[in-house]
Amino acid sequence: MPDWRNVVSDHLAALALEPHERAEVIEELAAHLDETFVDLRRRGFTEEHAAKRCLSEVRDWPDLRRKIQSARRKDDPMTNRVKQLWLPGLLTFVLSMGFLALAQIFGPKPWILTWGHPPIALFYIPWLFALPFVGALGAYLSHRAGGSRRVVLSSIVFPILPFVAATLVILPGSLLFDHFIAHNPAPMAILLALLGWVFGPGVALLVGGLPAQLFLSRRLTSGRTASN
Amino acid sequence: MIGPGVKRGTAELAILSVLEGASLHGYEIARRIEQQTRGKLRFTLASLYPLLYRMENQGWVRGAWQLSAHGRRRRCYRLTSAGKKKLSPLRQEWSELFRALRRLTKVANA
Repeated sequence: MPDWRNVVSDHLAALALEPHERAEVIEELAAHLDETFVDLRRRGFTEEHAAKRCLSEVRDWPDLRRKIQSARRKDDPMTNRVKQLWLPGLLTFVLSMGFLALAQIFGPKPWILTWGHPPIALFYIPWLFALPFVGALGAYLSHRAGGSRRVVLSSIVFPILPFVAATLVILPGSLLFDHFIAHNPAPMAILLALLGWVFGPGVALLVGGLPAQLFLSRRLTSGRTASN
Repeated sequence: MIGPGVKRGTAELAILSVLEGASLHGYEIARRIEQQTRGKLRFTLASLYPLLYRMENQGWVRGAWQLSAHGRRRRCYRLTSAGKKKLSPLRQEWSELFRALRRLTKVANA
């Protein structure tokens, strides 16, 4: 018979609950699988088929983990969302803006990419080098608060979201309503603005954030496996 | 077969109803619901426990560890007084809904 406790604890290693609560959940779910297995065997299933049927009780373990976390926690989902996304996101945004201001005031001149006469993209190299740490911090804070993979990813790229809004909404909007902006170079200007303020910083944030997320989830998994 | 949307809505009623008669552990809850609905409602581990934990958080059911005859530790759930209070209006709502649907389908068939 499979060791259901190991199966469950491997899959729910990242369950963000108090240790005694997590242990209780793992024991309860393992007992359920155990009962299911014994019952199926009693009804004539082979050991292999019974194990397969038991494993099919859960198709998406990360989804089950999130649902259990949300159901067991006393606080409401809004509080979770604040801890997992808004706080890490706002903190990394403020840090990112602080580093940008420092790079603009004290750093070397930005690297300028030109395309045609007016459209240019500015790259503040020291700022871009600081962003991987900001991305890693966003990943750490969101992961620690029990954020799902998607929420952690959103926290990593949060500092560029205002630039996305500015480039894709405000700039085209001002082109429509402001007659003093030259319309001819507009598409190239938007493209270069995206390159300098969204794609470049976004890649820099992900360079730090994604490995941090991977490292944190692996560390948690190996820690839980070792403790069992 | 009943679709997943309706199942979600009836899940709380089903759990509260089977716990009305006895204190049961998770697997027994799932089995009783499956047997009593002749397989129309079936809970998997993934669908049952998040709901049970949410209902426990709301104070409708309470879980406590017990030792089975075979010496296994199992968490048994029983209905609380808040759960009993919840069950009666929930039954009323669902029976009204089903009556309304029956009337509707009769009119549609007429």
